[in-house]
Amino acid sequence: MPAGGITFHGVCKTFSGRGKTIEALRDFTLSCPSGSFTAIIGPSGCGKSTAMRVALGLEGADKGAVLIEDREPLDATRAGLTGVAFQDAALLPWRSVRENVEVPLEVLKKKVRDFAPDVQHLIELVGLKGYENALPGELSGGMRQRVAIARALVTRPRVLFMDEPFGALDQILRRQMNFELQRIWQESQATAFLVTHGIDEAVFLADRIAVMSANPGRLAVVIDVPFERPRKPELFSDPAFHALCDKVAEVLHGGQ
Amino acid sequence: MAGSKQWAVPLRNIAILLLIWEVVGRLDLIADGALPGISEILIGLWNDRSDYPLHVWETLKASGLGFVIGNLLGVVAGVFFVLIPMSLRVFRGLNIAIFALPPIAIAPILSLTLSGLTPRVVLAALGCYFVTMTATVIGLSQSDSRAADLIRVYGGGNWLIMRMVQFRSALPSILSGLRVAAPNAVLGAILAEFGGGGRWGLGAYLLGSLGRAEPERLWGIGVVATLIAGLAYGVFALMSHRFVGASRAVTMNMSVPEKAGDGSSSPVSSLLAGAMAVLLPFLFWWAFIRLLEVPAMISKTPIGVVEYLFFSPAAQSAQERLIAALWETLPITGVGLVCGLSFAFALAISSRLFPGFLRAFMPVALVTQTMPLVALTPLLVLLLGRGTSLTLWVTISVTFFPAFVILAQGISMVPRATRELAMAYGASAWQELRIITVPASMPYLFAATRLTVPRALLGVMIAEWLATGKGLGNLLNQSRGYMDYGMIWTVAALSVILAVVFYQLVVVVERRVLQRMGMSTAE
Ligand SMILES: Nc1ncnc2c1ncn2[C@@H]1O[C@H](COP(=O)(O)OP(=O)(O)O)[C@@H](O)[C@H]1O
Ligand SMILES: [Mg+2]
Repeated sequence: MPAGGITFHGVCKTFSGRGKTIEALRDFTLSCPSGSFTAIIGPSGCGKSTAMRVALGLEGADKGAVLIEDREPLDATRAGLTGVAFQDAALLPWRSVRENVEVPLEVLKKKVRDFAPDVQHLIELVGLKGYENALPGELSGGMRQRVAIARALVTRPRVLFMDEPFGALDQILRRQMNFELQRIWQESQATAFLVTHGIDEAVFLADRIAVMSANPGRLAVVIDVPFERPRKPELFSDPAFHALCDKVAEVLHGGQ
Repeated sequence: MAGSKQWAVPLRNIAILLLIWEVVGRLDLIADGALPGISEILIGLWNDRSDYPLHVWETLKASGLGFVIGNLLGVVAGVFFVLIPMSLRVFRGLNIAIFALPPIAIAPILSLTLSGLTPRVVLAALGCYFVTMTATVIGLSQSDSRAADLIRVYGGGNWLIMRMVQFRSALPSILSGLRVAAPNAVLGAILAEFGGGGRWGLGAYLLGSLGRAEPERLWGIGVVATLIAGLAYGVFALMSHRFVGASRAVTMNMSVPEKAGDGSSSPVSSLLAGAMAVLLPFLFWWAFIRLLEVPAMISKTPIGVVEYLFFSPAAQSAQERLIAALWETLPITGVGLVCGLSFAFALAISSRLFPGFLRAFMPVALVTQTMPLVALTPLLVLLLGRGTSLTLWVTISVTFFPAFVILAQGISMVPRATRELAMAYGASAWQELRIITVPASMPYLFAATRLTVPRALLGVMIAEWLATGKGLGNLLNQSRGYMDYGMIWTVAALSVILAVVFYQLVVVVERRVLQRMGMSTAE
């Protein structure tokens, strides 16, 4: 039943080092339908990043499989189907904003010049018009994070992976970025996979929240988020929003 | 404002120091005029001005060429080691040997087997290779692993990561490697001139001036050599400053890089790598002789040395002389090393209590870093005579300064919050030292020891060769005179092996201790 999106099927991953083994993922099964927004939340060290890294082919699974748009991870990444944003932006400090956004194009051996309008459009989309030639060191944390988002989108990915992309930002900036991310994602129509430890962020952005528990890392429950799109910043103060946040928190803490 | 003040204090101190020097020198207060005044040295330089250009040119040529070759090799090797991590283990023995070998010990060998400028170039290159290789490996492996992941996520391989991320982010590290390598190249070239005969070059000039009672000239040569090394250092310091946009730590990483024990390789393959690591230096030695096709009489392979030392008619006498020499060299090396390190440690620790002192002393310590060791020794001879105390002081002075720089910088890196935590509970300055600063500086103490062990041996051997007529250094010099090739090779091999064994000992102790303390080795 080819469905596109992302499907994890019984993924197991164990790390061994220094005499002890860590079961980072046990029988992790989850499917993220095409065009949906899924948030993964869980206590620190429960295997969220590992799940994403397996999906991107950065780590091999011990058991089970991941399909991205019905293809093997390495196939999908090399075909340019995926976009990725890491925590702390991970920009190359010696490249300007524009050149940083172009990195994936270079790796995929595309003609960078052909994409100049796209790159420009993306930079404007994330609100960095006028900063095209600035170096990352000259930007604020939030601006750097937006560069990382633009870079993740530059290949027009079908699937967008984000690992705590706003982890380093303060609460106010974070909410602002959440709002912008929703807008950008809706325009891109990609399948989104967001690793986060912020409950409100997950509830605000996601269609579905996958809650994980630790030791071993496994999926605890999937919670649907019913709010209409586009969601407005006012949602953050809606009682229904808070009720759902409380529910997620309860599962999170109960699952420990 | 703060910037100009920062410069003013050291400048003032240097000016005061120079002034005292001038007065003391002019009045011939030290060792009957062995320390001339600065103006006297300058006048001497002016009088000898026709001698210098050729000597300087010769030294510059050799060290420049060696600098280029050694650094190219260093960068290429560094890239290779990072791309193929296993190779780092295989080459470990060779890398340590190159780091630890006392250049003075192999200078005679190089001038026996190679001709013309080559021995000097080789020794200069050897001085650069290790520093730059290490800087490259560290720079490359410290690059942002998430940036590497990013490239990999889009299907890029190791080579693309190297090209787009690692190499560029390693540049500052490589540049600071070049900065340290530059004075090393000068020192290597001078040592080779010195140990190899030949007419031109600062080393040859120094050797020729040793016998005369002209302190001004010896000081003049010392000043010129220091100036060249210092300038070379300065040029690259400036370049890396320009490039990086911020100054970095002046110390260099002196650990032989290795991959952290990744559990992926089987015991068999790591055993094999270990065996290769031990064998490879000897293989290089053997191949060096085979490829050069030097007559067997002059050149000794590893087997040749064993034969000479155990099975030849001269074996008995050779062993006796060797043991006697070792008995003279080793104790003084140990004592000098311990003294140098203790002084450095004490001074670095107490500079924590008097921060102003550190700021004033650091520039002096840095200048001595670029001062060619071999130019320093004759000056100390002038001041101290030719006794054992000379050897001791040479050893202390070559170990003290680098150790001090590493320790002082290490100690200054102890996070402020940690210290303030102790203070917040009312700890006295001494308590704070005992509870926090001293334990926290252990990794740097070991790093300093690693760095200074080979230097101590080099210092002792230079002093013995030049001045005291004792120990391994003297044995080497004598054997050169008697054309006792077996002994030359034996002493060279033995001193390299000694240096490597000492180094490795420090590494083992360091790992044990730091592991128990839950710390990792300092840069
Ligand atoms: N390369 C690795 N080697 C060993 N252990 C790892 C590695 N990567 C992750 N782990 C361990 O796996 C567990 C899950 O890690 P991770 O997926 O990064 O958690 P998080 O949910 O915080 O993102 C942690 O206990 C972590 O220590
Ligand atoms: Mg994580």
